[in-house]
Amino acid sequence: MYGSSTQYQNWTFKDEHELVKLRIQANSDFIEKFGINMTSVERAKHFLTIEEEHLMVRSYEHSLRDFCKKFRDPRDARIRMLPSVTTTAQHYFKRFYLYNSVMDYHPKEILVTCVYLACKIEEFYVTINDFVHNVRGDKKKAAEIILNNELQLTQELQFHLIIHQPFRPVEGLLIDIKTRFPQLRDPERLRPYIDEFLERVNLTDAILLYAPGQIALAAVTNAVSRLGENLDQYVTDILFPSEQRHHLSVLIEAVRKIKKMVKNAEPPLSDTVRREIEAKLEKCRNQQNNPNSSQYRANYSEWDDEDLPIAAAPYNDDLGLGVERIRSPSAY
Amino acid sequence: MGMEAYTVVGRIGEGAHGVVVRARHNLTGQMVALKKIPLRRLDQGMPTTALREIKALQEINSKHVVRLLDVFAEGAGFVLAFELMLGDLGEMIRDATRPLTPAQVKTYMTTLLSGVAFLHQHNIMHRDLKPANLLISETGQLKIADLGLCRVFSKQGKRLYSHQVATRWYRAPELLYGARHYDEGVDLWAVGCIFGEMINNSPIFPGESDIDQLCVVLQILGTPSEATWPGLSRLPDYKKITFPESKPVPLEQVLPDAPPDAIDLIKKFLIYSTNKRISAKKALLHQYFFTAPLAAPLHQMPVPLLEKKQPPATQEYMTDFPLHHITDAIHNHLDTLYMKG
Repeated sequence: MYGSSTQYQNWTFKDEHELVKLRIQANSDFIEKFGINMTSVERAKHFLTIEEEHLMVRSYEHSLRDFCKKFRDPRDARIRMLPSVTTTAQHYFKRFYLYNSVMDYHPKEILVTCVYLACKIEEFYVTINDFVHNVRGDKKKAAEIILNNELQLTQELQFHLIIHQPFRPVEGLLIDIKTRFPQLRDPERLRPYIDEFLERVNLTDAILLYAPGQIALAAVTNAVSRLGENLDQYVTDILFPSEQRHHLSVLIEAVRKIKKMVKNAEPPLSDTVRREIEAKLEKCRNQQNNPNSSQYRANYSEWDDEDLPIAAAPYNDDLGLGVERIRSPSAY
Repeated sequence: MGMEAYTVVGRIGEGAHGVVVRARHNLTGQMVALKKIPLRRLDQGMPTTALREIKALQEINSKHVVRLLDVFAEGAGFVLAFELMLGDLGEMIRDATRPLTPAQVKTYMTTLLSGVAFLHQHNIMHRDLKPANLLISETGQLKIADLGLCRVFSKQGKRLYSHQVATRWYRAPELLYGARHYDEGVDLWAVGCIFGEMINNSPIFPGESDIDQLCVVLQILGTPSEATWPGLSRLPDYKKITFPESKPVPLEQVLPDAPPDAIDLIKKFLIYSTNKRISAKKALLHQYFFTAPLAAPLHQMPVPLLEKKQPPATQEYMTDFPLHHITDAIHNHLDTLYMKG
C-alpha cells in the first residue's frame, strides 16, 4: 500500500533540488527571525550557513545509527534494536530537518526523540527510563527533553508515522530469485552486503526520493555485483518481461542513482570540524529550545496538566441551580 | 493549524477518554468531533495506543471508517478532529420505537463487513468492535470508529466505565482464555456477536464478569475440547478455570427470529477456532446477502435522533426541589412514631 501512503504522497520528493530548496528556506526563515537587527555581515558571522547545517545533520545521522547499534535494554542485554526502528528514526530525523533549522532544534535532542518515537511506532517496547539508560549524561534531563520534544516532533511529521521500509521488498526479491532465477547460486550469500547497503542508504537523501521497492532492488543488485556476479538477466527477462519494458528504464535509472548516492555517502565529520560548528551553534541556537537556558526552564515549568480551552467550553452541567443529587434506594 | 481553526459549539460526551466536543471548522463550516488526548508529562510521553490509531487512520481512507480529518498539538496534549457522527449502533438497537427490520440489519452487516474487510486488508485489527464503536452518520450510514483509542483513555481512569463492561460481551473466547497472540479472528467473533444482537435486540453473550463471560459463551456453544478447538489447552488461562461439561445449544433456539441463512452466517463467525471463522471478505459473498429481503437502501435507514433520551438511571436521581423537605418530613414522621411507641 505504498502507493496510497503518506510517505509517497507527502514525503517522497521529485528530486534533490526540492530538498535543497526546503533546507534553504528553513535556514533563511530562522535567520530572518532571529537576525532581525543584524547587518548581513553580522548575520553571516553569527548564524550557521546552509552548508554547516547540512554537515551537522549528516553528522548526526551517523550518531543516530551508532546510538541505535549500541542500544541495549538494561533489563536484558541480549535485546538489540531492530533495523526497522533505526530506519524509521532516520526517516523522522531527515523529515524534521527539511522544515526546521538545526539552530532552532539541536540535532542531538531531536535524534533521541526520533528514536524514542520510532520505538513506539515499530512496536519495540521500551520504557522511557530504560531508554535514557542508553543516553550519556544526566538521564533525568534526557527523559525530560525527549518527552518535551515528542509532541513537537510528531507535529512536524504532520502525524505521518508509518514508514515503508525496504526490508520486506528485499525478502520478496530473494524469494523470487530463489524460485525463478536458480542461475544465481545461494542468494543467502547476499545478505551481509544487502544489510550494509540498507544501513548506508539511510545516511543519504535517497530515502526521501525513492520507493522502498526501488531501494530494495538497488541493495540486491549491488550485493550481486559485490560478489562479482550478475543479475541483469533476472531484472530484464524475469522481473520485467517485454510487455512491461516501459517501467524498466525508469527503474534502472532509479537504481543507478540510489547506488550512486550510497557510494557517495558522506563520512562522519572530523572531530575538529564538528566541534567548531557545535561551538557556533551554541551561540546562535534558539535559546527557548535550549534545555540549559533559563527561558526553556521558564516555559516548561508552567505547563502542568492545564487543560484545553475546549474543556472549559461554555457548558453547564447543573442546568437547574440548587439541584441536589440523592442516591437511589438500591445504592444503600 | 490548531484549535483556532475551530469554534466549539457543544459537547458530545465525556467518558473515560476526557472531553469530546462538537465543533465547526471556521473556514469550511464542516462539523467535526474534537477529542483531546492529554499528555502526562514525565510519564511515557504520547500513549502508544493513540499513536497506533493515528498511524493507522493516516494511511487509510474508507467510507466505512470514521475519517480522521486533522491532528494537531494543543497545550500539553493533542487533538484529533473526526468527521461528526450523530449516534451509534447501540442506540439504534435499543430504540424500541423503531425496531430494526431484517433489511436494515442486512445493510448494517454489509457496511460493517466492508469496513472490517478493508481494515484487515490493510493489516489492521480493530480489537474492540462493539455497537458503541460503530457510529451512525446523519444520513444513517454506519462507520467504524475508535481504533484503539478507548483503551488508551480508559487505562488512565481508575473506575470501570459501562462501555468497558460492554466490551467484554464481544470479546473472543481466546482472549477470555488469556491468549497473548491473536489475530483478526477477534474482530470476526465480535461481528458475529453484533449480528446476533441486531437480530435479537439484545446481546447474545451478556456476561457479568470475565469468568461469567466465558461461562455464558460455553453454555451456548458447548464446552470446547482440543478436538473442537486445536491449541485450546496451550492457552494461558485454560488450566486456571474449568467449567462443567455442557452441550451446545442450537443457535436456532438462541435466535428464534433469525432466518436460516442468517443462522448459517452467524455460525461461521461464532467458532472457537479463530482460523476457521469466515473472513469478512468471504462473508460478504454469503447467500444471506443475496436472498430476500435484500439490504435496505440508505434512505430507508434510521437516522440518529438529535434529542437523546437519557439512559435509565441506576445509581442517581435528579430532583429539582431541595431534599431536606423530604428528609425532614421522614424524620418528623419517624419521630411521631417513636413518641407514640
